[in-house]
Amino acid sequence: MQDLLYFFQQLINGLTIGSAYALIAIGYTMVYGIIGMINFAHGEVYMIGAYTALIAITGLTAFGIAWLPLVLIVALICAVIVSSSMGWAVERVAYRPVRGRHRLIPLISAIGMSIFLQNYVHLAQGSRNIGFPALMDGGFQFGSADSFQMSLSYMQITIFITTLICMTLLSLFISRSRIGRACRAVSQDLRMANLLGIDTNRIISATFVIGASLAAVAGLLLGMYYGSVDPLFGFIAGLKAFTAAVLGGIGSIPGAMLGGLILGVAESMTSGYLSGEYKDVVSFSLLILILLFKPTGLLGKPEVEKI
Amino acid sequence: MKTSVKKIVTAVGASVALMSAGQAAADIKVGIAGPMTGPVAQYGDMQFSGVRMAIDQINKAGGVMGEKLVAVEMDDVCDPKQAVTVANRMVNEGVQYVVGHLCSSSTQPASDIYEDEGILMITPASTSPEVTGRGYELVFRTIGLDSMQGPVAGNYIAAQKPERVAIVHDKQQYGEGIATAVRDTLKDAGVDIAMFEGITAGDKDFSSLVTKIKQANVDYVYYGGYHPELGLILRQARQSDVDAKFMGPEGVGNKDINTIAGEAAEGLLVTLPPSFDQKAENQQLIKAFNEKGEDPSGPFVLTSYAAVQLVADGIEQAQSKDPYDVAKALRSGSFQTPIGTVQYDKAGDMKSFEFVVYEWHSDGSKTPMN
Repeated sequence: MQDLLYFFQQLINGLTIGSAYALIAIGYTMVYGIIGMINFAHGEVYMIGAYTALIAITGLTAFGIAWLPLVLIVALICAVIVSSSMGWAVERVAYRPVRGRHRLIPLISAIGMSIFLQNYVHLAQGSRNIGFPALMDGGFQFGSADSFQMSLSYMQITIFITTLICMTLLSLFISRSRIGRACRAVSQDLRMANLLGIDTNRIISATFVIGASLAAVAGLLLGMYYGSVDPLFGFIAGLKAFTAAVLGGIGSIPGAMLGGLILGVAESMTSGYLSGEYKDVVSFSLLILILLFKPTGLLGKPEVEKI
Repeated sequence: MKTSVKKIVTAVGASVALMSAGQAAADIKVGIAGPMTGPVAQYGDMQFSGVRMAIDQINKAGGVMGEKLVAVEMDDVCDPKQAVTVANRMVNEGVQYVVGHLCSSSTQPASDIYEDEGILMITPASTSPEVTGRGYELVFRTIGLDSMQGPVAGNYIAAQKPERVAIVHDKQQYGEGIATAVRDTLKDAGVDIAMFEGITAGDKDFSSLVTKIKQANVDYVYYGGYHPELGLILRQARQSDVDAKFMGPEGVGNKDINTIAGEAAEGLLVTLPPSFDQKAENQQLIKAFNEKGEDPSGPFVLTSYAAVQLVADGIEQAQSKDPYDVAKALRSGSFQTPIGTVQYDKAGDMKSFEFVVYEWHSDGSKTPMN
């Protein structure tokens, strides 16, 4: 019984972190699906989202506003606005001018942007860890008090539910809305979509904005869940989310969700049953194995050479 | 023809520069290397504040052998690669004495360069035994060793008669070294060590580790490493209702852990050098710090002050500015400093240095245990 509870606890830990990875992974996968480049500055957009949320929360608390739902919603809105304008600006400044050139050029531009944003935050916010105030404590306990107790915290529940809502909204948006339809068209054939009168520049910007907004949501949630942010916050998370996107099949939105969850659970099971030292070994080995045996990822479609 | 003119101009320019450097050398340059930026910059703040105060006071009192001390400050970000760059720049600057570096993993590669180039180095903070364990002639420290700090922590935990203990470290030279020392002490005392595990420095998600600690049902958790990770572990452990007592080395004992862990930092045990700022004979010095608006209570402020003072006293004692003579003088003499009477053994370690167990509070203050 106790072992079972332990297993479920690690599963919950893994699913929590996995759903956050999935939120970030969407940004990688959508951008890749549409223009075939990897936006390495995406992790930094997520970090900036977390910082903005922290600043908003601190600001509200300073004004004496402490009603939790209000604080969270305001922080979320601020983070989404700042991050998505950041995502839009990054695309405009660093990617659009080099679009259509050799594939390596936007990639290098992305890495440059990532370094720039990281150091910008270093300068603007200092390099120390800044703590999030503990807003959401407590949770449900399962199991008897004198042995191992499984706990499901309110924070974890919030992360699940928010991710679920975001994912549902995104799926609806992509499948039903006008812009969503245009997104799909552009991802199938950019030039043809252009010929048919779709403003592809606008659609590409929209993709960056959507990806950045989801990253901002993840930034707020994970910042609160972990409890602190620093300028390197986005680097590892970005790398993991990228792995998740590739794992699920880069370019595929359900793939990013699945990849994120698998990666999160694999990580927590490794540190739960083996040792935390092997956590990253396992997640990146998983990536290598997938690339070796199923290069398109779990849910990715084989790329058809466009003539 | 043109190039040779250029060469002559460069040569003249260089010799003029050299001559002026020769004149300026009436001052004694003391290199200060530590983290001004980066995740552990607050330790650097302690170091620089102690060093500046010492140089100030020594110069006001007439300098060393009639010459003034001048600080050459450089930032190593506590990064081993940067530390090597800083060490090479120190060599180019013609520095003969260095007070630094701070993190053991920076001090060690830098000290190789100093030893080769004949520069005397005193670290006010690096506690890794390897720093002085390589038979170097010019490497000293004004702090104890992990091999002293580990047993203090281990013995303290063993004395509380815990049933099981978990040990976690960040796989870095400092953290793993100290964690190993604690493990060995506990093993000797016959305490059951339920887990000994590494984490990745810079990681954020410790939920799996915390669950594991909870499952192991331990009474004490010892963490070898720095505050950014322990702060998060404490916070996440608190949220999962882990009731074990946490303990860490002086690398976790600073106020930044409170901004990360918040309330969860209450009751954390830390081994620190004794509060030199509480000693009666230091009160005048403490007043000087307070007048400057600086906080002298950090663990490395007065060790840094003492390091500069030892450089100055060593030069006076040797009546020579040659680093090798100064090193000899430091090994043979006995010096009164704010951290007590300092005597060095052959390796460059202080003959006695004690660590004390403190209980940390959520407002950033601490009270000695015992």
